[in-house]
Amino acid sequence: MATKKLGFVIRTLPYKIEGSRLAMTHAISSQTVEIYLADGDLVEPVVCFIGDGVLNCLKSQQAMKNYGLTSLEQHIKNSLLLDLNVLICKEDVDKFGIKEEALIMDAEDIGGETKAKIVPYSEIQKAMESVDHLLFC
Amino acid sequence: MADLKTQTPTETLDVLGRVCPYPLVLTKKQLEKMSSGGLLKILCDAPASAEDSLPRYAEKLGYGIEVVKLEDKGYWEIFIQKK
Repeated sequence: MATKKLGFVIRTLPYKIEGSRLAMTHAISSQTVEIYLADGDLVEPVVCFIGDGVLNCLKSQQAMKNYGLTSLEQHIKNSLLLDLNVLICKEDVDKFGIKEEALIMDAEDIGGETKAKIVPYSEIQKAMESVDHLLFC
Repeated sequence: MADLKTQTPTETLDVLGRVCPYPLVLTKKQLEKMSSGGLLKILCDAPASAEDSLPRYAEKLGYGIEVVKLEDKGYWEIFIQKK
């Protein structure tokens, strides 16, 4: 029995590039692979937003209106609904002058119980060092 | 195994309109909250989840499962009994 830890580090802007959508999709999908693994083996993802990537976490995204794309807002909420560990870099949030209330911190409207966490980069660094596989998007 | 679909479910989970992987991960989450012996009824219209991932998951854990395809409604009712 073993737990494989996966880290998804999102550094890219939300739209006109598929990096963040790819990372979120893989993190969410990783929760289903245990059906193909040996008994007791698990996969545990952590999703980290750093640099420009923190802009993915803004509320009230107008992706459909502006780009004709589905919003990443729902993707982030779905990851919280599925109890994924979502970390947002505090220094980068501060750098952009974003207030916590402007960020998607929970998914209570769809029944989610887990909240995203705004943490210092040092904690994200620790998370990155603790995983078995790391994907930068 | 007892006929699960004739029993009154402990909980019902509606994942209609959701595609893979959501039906499976939401089912896992719901089952984790339920007690041993509890019966979960899932409403699902995603073929891959209804016919592959959900049965595979239940069988892997040794849970009872019964999958009923409702042709007229275009979705499945899946009954999973937690061991």
